[in-house]
Amino acid sequence: MAERDRITPKMTSREILDFVKNTPGVFLTNNERDVSQSDFKCRIMPQTTLKAAPYRDSAGYFAFEITGGATVHLDLMKKQISPFEKLRLVRKAMPNTPIQAVVRGRNLFGYRPYPDNVIDLTIRLFSRYVDIWRVYDFLNHIPNLVRTAEAVKRAGKVLMPCVCFSTGAGHTVDFYLEKVDEIVSTLGDDIILGIKNHSSVGTPAKIAELVRSIADRYPDLPLAYHGHNTDGNDLGRMIAAVQEGVKIVEVSDHGYGGTYSQAPALSFIQVLHDYKVELPGLKVLPILETSDLLRRERRLYDKFESPFRGFDPTVKRHKLPGGAASLALEQAEKAGLIERAHEVFSELIKVRKELGNIWIVTPGSQILWSTAMSNVLHGRYERPSDDLKRLLLGRYGPFPFYDPREWIFQKVLENGRTDGKRWPQVLYDEGGIQKLPDEDFPKLRRQMEAQLKRAVSDEELCLYAQFPRDALEFFKFVDKFGKTWLLPPDVWFHEGGFSDGTRVTFPDESGKTHHIDLVSTRRSGDSVHTSMLVDYHFQTYTNSVGSLATRKAM
Amino acid sequence: MFKKLLVANRGEIAIRIMRSANELGIKTVAVYEETDKTASHIMRADEAICIGLGPRRDYLNIERIILAAQSSRADAIHPGYGFLAENPAFSRQCTEAGLAFVGPPPQVISDMGSKVVARQIMADAGIPSIPGTEVLPPGRDGEGIAASFAERYGFPIIVKAVAGGGGRGIRFTQNLDELMKNLPAARSEALMAFGNDQIYLEKGLPNPRHVEVQVLADSYGNVVHLGTRNCSIQRRHQKMIEIAPAPLPEDLTARICETAVQAARASKYVNAGTVEFLLDQDNNFYFLEVNTRIQVEHTISEMITGIDIVREQILVAAGEPLSIAQKDIIFRGTAIELRINAEDPRSNFMASPGVIEVYQSPGGHGIRLDGAVYQGYEIPRYYDSMLVKLTVYGFTWIEAVNRLARALDNFVIAGVKTTIPFYKQIVKDPDFINQTFDTSYIETHQHLLDYQEEVPEIDKLASLVAEINAFGYNPYAEG
Repeated sequence: MAERDRITPKMTSREILDFVKNTPGVFLTNNERDVSQSDFKCRIMPQTTLKAAPYRDSAGYFAFEITGGATVHLDLMKKQISPFEKLRLVRKAMPNTPIQAVVRGRNLFGYRPYPDNVIDLTIRLFSRYVDIWRVYDFLNHIPNLVRTAEAVKRAGKVLMPCVCFSTGAGHTVDFYLEKVDEIVSTLGDDIILGIKNHSSVGTPAKIAELVRSIADRYPDLPLAYHGHNTDGNDLGRMIAAVQEGVKIVEVSDHGYGGTYSQAPALSFIQVLHDYKVELPGLKVLPILETSDLLRRERRLYDKFESPFRGFDPTVKRHKLPGGAASLALEQAEKAGLIERAHEVFSELIKVRKELGNIWIVTPGSQILWSTAMSNVLHGRYERPSDDLKRLLLGRYGPFPFYDPREWIFQKVLENGRTDGKRWPQVLYDEGGIQKLPDEDFPKLRRQMEAQLKRAVSDEELCLYAQFPRDALEFFKFVDKFGKTWLLPPDVWFHEGGFSDGTRVTFPDESGKTHHIDLVSTRRSGDSVHTSMLVDYHFQTYTNSVGSLATRKAM
Repeated sequence: MFKKLLVANRGEIAIRIMRSANELGIKTVAVYEETDKTASHIMRADEAICIGLGPRRDYLNIERIILAAQSSRADAIHPGYGFLAENPAFSRQCTEAGLAFVGPPPQVISDMGSKVVARQIMADAGIPSIPGTEVLPPGRDGEGIAASFAERYGFPIIVKAVAGGGGRGIRFTQNLDELMKNLPAARSEALMAFGNDQIYLEKGLPNPRHVEVQVLADSYGNVVHLGTRNCSIQRRHQKMIEIAPAPLPEDLTARICETAVQAARASKYVNAGTVEFLLDQDNNFYFLEVNTRIQVEHTISEMITGIDIVREQILVAAGEPLSIAQKDIIFRGTAIELRINAEDPRSNFMASPGVIEVYQSPGGHGIRLDGAVYQGYEIPRYYDSMLVKLTVYGFTWIEAVNRLARALDNFVIAGVKTTIPFYKQIVKDPDFINQTFDTSYIETHQHLLDYQEEVPEIDKLASLVAEINAFGYNPYAEG
């Protein structure tokens, strides 16, 4: 069968937009980033991604989302791979598929706003690899998207501004239409408009109504739908969206994901076939092959799956999205609160309502979840976090529907103050979005070079500007251990010592096979001597485990 | 022919000698000090004898070595280089004990060992030497001679110990004041280092090239040369890289080699030796000294001629004539030799003793290794730090340089710091590639020391696997 037309990274953003508009049918985006974040606590390792890459690349997806969100920070902290390195590898392994990233507007990949020059640098450098930028603001405050959107356009990439969707008081179709108006009037119509249903809420009918309303007002605007399958009902919403004119829908592989993350591609495709909806450029066989492979790989990540398996229809009330739920539950587990998780969820419902019925998506989801946890542990609003204070101060933007009650402002804004200032004065003096001074990049570079004792790249500077402490730790790690993503995931996540005779085999980036054979382990006092054959050469490494307690405490 | 040869040395040269002896069907005896009992030359010999507790002193103990030869019924002794190789007493006592000494007769060692006598012999034979003085008398007389020498020849002037050699016992002076201050200091240093406080002066040549000629002579008056070697790349007068043939015009090479043969004849030379010359900027050459031993860098002459110099040494010592005539010796291609030492070039070449955790060596066409290390070997702190001598051959200079770079890349040595990363810089240096080097090369190319040492990627990953094993979890995945 001849190769059907498909979207490729070689196309310009204009060509991509025209192709989407003028080609009948629906395009699918494979969102491994969200699957990894929602169902595996961001732990899917590059080795797995690269194994699946040839299949996914030949499937003919609209895009492959592999970076952004919490992933950038987690790449540095838990996977010890540079997000840029990961993108470079994915780009090499998937040359035919555009790469997509999700970015939290002014908050980039972090939890609070960044200065303009950090935003510009980040978008410029990531755009070396990223073709499509999905941009949102957790308060749907459209001015928060502008700087990022401008940087995306400057880089010549496809801009996909999103409206965050939810339900409840104030979340009317008219409200969302106004937001779309604001997006189009502020950012232009050379965009794809995203509907971001991170909380997996709303009936198919509600989604259909929203899409229909937008499509009626903006018939030429390509629409994309990003949903989660937390309640098990996203297929219904996806189909409703498509029937009303959505052109791009995000999916997962059925080999993993499909629970807290996106619904499985294949289930969706089967329905679309029945509905006689075209899927231009898409091939089913590679999608099957991807999942055959991922089903085997999934076992490596078993311990990162949610402690609560299966669909969660209660999301309709608590609205915690998949991507936040996995990390929130991990946080609860560490705090010894997993047995009281239901209490935290109940508290979260209250907190969300009290805090303006905003969208529970990063960084809002972290702020609300941490507040709920803190409220359960220490009493309601007794120990407010700095981020909650920032939210109430309006540093992220205004509350879109209603302000929290005065007693909450009082408890939060007057907490810990020694100057006796009352909360209205605090709000008056310190409230509102603040223009942040640009970062002094030469100074940051000097700081890094002093620490690392070597020259640093722009990419390293970009990561350091966003996550100073964790990025620095990561650079030191790489200087010491190299490209550890080459190690198989079962070695990376290994628990316990290795038995004598264990063989670790893996290819390097140029395809050459390496072997590490564990020969023996000897303990003397605080020291562990591991002898191994490293590519058939005997080596003994000595580690002091006296630092174990210290390390764990860090 | 000898039945059994005792090698009065250690390390790579001991093994080198044993190889030629083995090929001649001669059994070998190794000697060692207690502090050197894990050295690989012991394992390569047919027999080994511990000659004392060491360190260093027993390898210099003539009586013990002769006793070891007698008790093992060896009939010949090869001294290698260093230790007792150029001690005329050793040669003499071996002969007196009825043991064949694989090297020149005592008188030759003695004459050539005295720089002043050697210069006189060469002068008598009409061989140009660098202007120099006799042995300086102590006190004011010596100072007077030094002052008039300085007036006649100008600076720089080198103060040299009569018994010095191998780059030791040399002081450069740039003016009269320095010269006068250095005379008593050089004298006391010479006494300490060589047990002989005699010194003399030599005119210093600015940035000369160091060229030497390998000669072979038998007891029947046959003398041949094996061409030139350039040993200009030195660090503090210690050779680091040697090249054969020296890159010189053909007629100049011919004249230098003829002069070397003439020098060997004048000194009544027997066995293998090296005649060293210094070349000034105008290609004038001056006799420097004769080394009455097998030299570290003999391998490059072997590579370009195909002649086994140690084999010839043994044959000559056994009373046989040289097996080759000058007309049989054909020079082909270029060879480069360098010494891979356990030293940290970036810490002023400080010795880096320790255990060789990984040793992986290069191979293939045109690569020769003369080493004495093995994986797991703990380098003793008492001896020199040479791990292995790398000699490469190429049909052309550039082929030899390319091969050298490849060979250096193929080495994997872990556990100790080595000079390999520094050599890797040198082989990439345009001056080296264009053969623009003299004795000032290392001094004027200090930037080559500014390199990053690379740990193999696989070793870095293995160290993480070891850490996961030690902690029972991956602290970098869970932190």
